[in-house]
Amino acid sequence: MEKNVTYIALFAALIAVLGLVPQISLASGVPITAQSLGVMLCGTVLGAKRGGLAVLLFVGLVALGLPLLSGGRGGLGVFSSPTVGFVIGFPVAAFVAGLVVEKTRAAIGLAAFAGALVGGVLVLYLFGITGMALVLGKSWPAASLLVGAYIPGDLIKAAMAGFITQGLAKLRPEAVLSRA
Amino acid sequence: MPPPLPNNSSLNLKDAGYAVAGRTILSGLTLSLTEQRIGIIGRNGSGKSTFLRLVAGLIAPTTGEVQIGGVAPASDRKAMLARIGILFQNPDHQIIFPTVGEELAFGLRQQGLDKTQATAQVRALLAHHGRSHWEPEPVTALSQGQRHFLCLLAVLAMKPQTILLDEPFAGLDLPTQARLGRELAKLPQRLVLITHDPKALAGYDRVIWLENGRLRADGPVGPVVAEFTETMARLGDVDADTDLTL
Amino acid sequence: MLTLTSPFETPLHRVPAGVKLAALAGLSVGLFSLQSLWMVLAATVGLALLYLSFGLGFARFGAAMLRPLWPFFLVLGLWHLWLGEWAAGLLIGARMLVAVGLANLVTMTTRLDDMIAVVERAAAPLARLGMQPRVLAVAIALVIRFTPVLMDKAQQLGQAWRARSAQRVNWRIVLPISLMALDDADRVAEAIRARGGL
Repeated sequence: MEKNVTYIALFAALIAVLGLVPQISLASGVPITAQSLGVMLCGTVLGAKRGGLAVLLFVGLVALGLPLLSGGRGGLGVFSSPTVGFVIGFPVAAFVAGLVVEKTRAAIGLAAFAGALVGGVLVLYLFGITGMALVLGKSWPAASLLVGAYIPGDLIKAAMAGFITQGLAKLRPEAVLSRA
Repeated sequence: MPPPLPNNSSLNLKDAGYAVAGRTILSGLTLSLTEQRIGIIGRNGSGKSTFLRLVAGLIAPTTGEVQIGGVAPASDRKAMLARIGILFQNPDHQIIFPTVGEELAFGLRQQGLDKTQATAQVRALLAHHGRSHWEPEPVTALSQGQRHFLCLLAVLAMKPQTILLDEPFAGLDLPTQARLGRELAKLPQRLVLITHDPKALAGYDRVIWLENGRLRADGPVGPVVAEFTETMARLGDVDADTDLTL
Repeated sequence: MLTLTSPFETPLHRVPAGVKLAALAGLSVGLFSLQSLWMVLAATVGLALLYLSFGLGFARFGAAMLRPLWPFFLVLGLWHLWLGEWAAGLLIGARMLVAVGLANLVTMTTRLDDMIAVVERAAAPLARLGMQPRVLAVAIALVIRFTPVLMDKAQQLGQAWRARSAQRVNWRIVLPISLMALDDADRVAEAIRARGGL
């Protein structure tokens, strides 16, 4: 019981830290926010249920007024702005990513990559684009045009999530609860 | 030293051992601890911290038995709260809550007090130690030594009969060490102290020396510490790492 | 930890959090049913005046919290100018501005403790489903406590990286940061167990 709660809480903190640490850059030197990588890792490492709860806790704290989203954003205003779909989609994305890792028999790194792809990119963008279409009063295709530029970066993050989950599974097999 | 608290719960280990992932960390420990001040010494990796966790009931022995006043500490956690408190080596591993008040109140609520009672006791405790102004402070505002003291207060708040201390002086500057040492010496509780510093054991009743997870020596401070110091000095002269196997 | 609550005290700070949240929900629903451009613009002006009535410092703080919206105003502006439907664009943009501004107002005038208290009260019925509100309270406290701790360690790792590398810190640092989160989780679970568990 204690472990469930502390894993969920510490991974919620991890999402925040990955969104606030400014100096992470891709191989090309392009700075990225690793926040959605944190969301993917919650699912691929903690599994569907715990991962989803960790992200839900994170989103809840953002709503309560903590500036934990990348760039120090937070508060209830987030839920009225065009990016609302992404924030609401975060917990679902982690849940789906975890589900994929739990249900497949593939090697952990590959399963985590697939989970991050399905949950952290496909599901997340479904939510994100829908939210943007609603708030900005645009059609779905028009809204997807607006966020399309971010998709390649998130595909790369899905690959990172695969490598990192694999690394954690090697170093702390007992802590990777999605396969425990 | 103050008069000891009435303490009917002797710590008993019967052939206790602990292994994790096929690696044996402690084995064959049979001890009966009834003294007021007990020191634990040994080299890095000798199993001292695991020993303390075993006695505190944070882990259960994989072989043999551990009992405190006839109860296994790992299985009856509620009963243990009044008997055993543990102070970790690093305060950041122990402090759970963002503010001093919440941190101190947590253990009391765990012992069944309601919010009002817990707050009242926290205020009384802080006032008793002249730290009333700490209550609303974020724990991050405290210095390393102050956080250490907060951890001790959090343990004391729960009034355990025995307090286990895992190198409480590591990383503290000398004045802070001296102050913490004085606070500890004043306590009426039974203390079990892990330390690398033989001087910290002055006035202690008994010392246990662990090596490779086994009992190397056990007895009064004078002879055990003398042999320990001599052995450590000899090892240091040779090459401290040659006996480390990977 | 730093919160988004405004240090400038306003009368709204003294209104109970539950009342403010209910009002926000009602006003937001009402706002999105408004179809008249003039009414939405009136709401925008009204909200701006409300912010200003709480003092210039407060209004500036509020304006800063709206800054992440500017790319969307830009997109809306270009889009609707191109289509020649400026009125529709203005309606959508102003409505978004008021919705976010109202929500921010609640965040800026409500202390975190009060928000958490509302959540705990709302979560109380969940106890019947086996979800103890106290566990939720501990989880919230843990995130608030360990975000700065983890942040600190991540920054130390970044410095250790730069001390031995000419290259910028890259994504590979996420693995050790995640490892620290896992290890901290184990230790905190132990610390909670040491004091009676959950």
